Amino acid sequence: MTLRDAACIVGTGESAYGKRGSLAERGELGLACEAIEAACADAGLDVGAIDGFSSYCDDRCVPTSLAPQLGIPSWRYAAMAWGGGGSSLPTAVLHAVMAVVTGAANYVTVLRSNIQGSIRLGGRMAENFRVSYTDAFGLDIPLAVYAMKARRYLDTYGVDPSALGAVAVTQRAYAGANRRAVYQQPMTMDDHDASRMVVSPLRLYDCCMESDGASAVIVTTPERARDLAKTPVVIGAMAARTNYRLNSSMVYTMSDQDLAASGQSAAAGEVFSTAGCRPEDVDVAGFYDGCSASVLWALEDWGFVERGSAGDFVLGGGTRLDGALPVNTAGGHLSEAYQQGLGQLIEGVRQLRGESVNQVAGAEIFLYSSGPGLAPGGGVLLHT
Amino acid sequence: MEARIEVEAKRSSGFNLPSGDRDPVPNALDEGMWAAAAEGRLVVQRCHSCRAHRFPPTRTCYRCRSTDWSWDPLPGTGVIATYTWVRDGARTGTAVPGDHYNVIVVDLDGTEGEPVRMVSNVVDAWGPEDIAIGMGVELVTLRLADGIGLPLFRRSIAGESS
Repeated sequence: MTLRDAACIVGTGESAYGKRGSLAERGELGLACEAIEAACADAGLDVGAIDGFSSYCDDRCVPTSLAPQLGIPSWRYAAMAWGGGGSSLPTAVLHAVMAVVTGAANYVTVLRSNIQGSIRLGGRMAENFRVSYTDAFGLDIPLAVYAMKARRYLDTYGVDPSALGAVAVTQRAYAGANRRAVYQQPMTMDDHDASRMVVSPLRLYDCCMESDGASAVIVTTPERARDLAKTPVVIGAMAARTNYRLNSSMVYTMSDQDLAASGQSAAAGEVFSTAGCRPEDVDVAGFYDGCSASVLWALEDWGFVERGSAGDFVLGGGTRLDGALPVNTAGGHLSEAYQQGLGQLIEGVRQLRGESVNQVAGAEIFLYSSGPGLAPGGGVLLHT
Repeated sequence: MEARIEVEAKRSSGFNLPSGDRDPVPNALDEGMWAAAAEGRLVVQRCHSCRAHRFPPTRTCYRCRSTDWSWDPLPGTGVIATYTWVRDGARTGTAVPGDHYNVIVVDLDGTEGEPVRMVSNVVDAWGPEDIAIGMGVELVTLRLADGIGLPLFRRSIAGESS
């Protein structure tokens, strides 16, 4: 069987977003409830109808706490895509789709809640991948892994390093119109270039932010979607898989190509073949931007541009609203909020409903892509 | 257990290394590589069945699924595959303003099967001009305690590298 067009997203919800620690008093559980309630309101669905939960990234809001807090009288399905901050959202969507298609649940919420007070991007990696082979040599933050991949990428293809700044500036311009975005003030290339070097070649404004917030979407079948408030957005395809010999640091067992990329090329072929479309059919995209370079890698892994040419594409305005492929039109992790990709997926739903503040005219197909991560990564294709 | 070599001791040794408590914690699978480094050698796993070298240490060979292996010494030379410079202040609780260390991925020489890469540091590199992708490096080890050492690298000196 195929899961093509087998399920859809019928509601999206977000808590307020804020800088790291600013929403701590509301708690990750409280923020998750706010997001799920907002998603149900958006869908025109009673919260009590939610009977399934799907999360990822080792989210700390467990269904056994969420269900009673939300007043859900009975529920029956829960799934976790373990690990992989950058990579595992497509698997969480897959779990939700499989559940509603098989009848294991009727309405599954895919959620992420993150208060960055205790779990710091700048802190050491999670215990399960903090191993002596990396930690003993000072490779203990995800951004340092991204930085080494970015260095290899720039060197391998001779990419103009100013492409990194162009990604950050482009996304900040989008965020300027997005009242939810944590960072809305304008950014110039000079601003970017003046920000401090954190892990070379990545400057502060190349790095995804640390923030507080929660977000959720509601997944159900097309049949059930007919009774709800809004026109459903169809999940055309999703796929995720690990790279060959991906191992615990993401840098020492990869192929040369994957060392200079996000490593989603295998999943990309599966997504496009399942959905029956090609890169040039995609109207707007959302890429997991753990750092600015992630956007360049995704453009190449998914075949939107040739290897090594994503820098020129972005410098030429290709990801802006008037470009060939607008990317991260809500601001992404660099400027909107750090929701481990779910913010990008929700913006995709807005685009296909015609509700974005940076609306791509006539958008019909949206693609989400993972960034580098330890769990299977890949993408989700949505269409009207 | 001997006292760890702290930041100042590392500096006085002439090595540019990250600060903080980050000594390896050997386990049953990998203790051999740390012990070898304490004795000045670089070893990686080699499969008894398909003869491929592999790193990091794993129970099972990724090529043939054999669980029979032993430590195999490598010549200790290699080529930098990529690198970064890390500001020490980027790490929680260890802010040392202006202090940078490098982290490299090194492609090791003398392996069979598939390329073998590991993460390490170039101890005699202090700034961006000291490191480049494709540069040759050679082994230098730092003994931290009985049975525990770090396999580190220094820049190859032209004419001396084999």
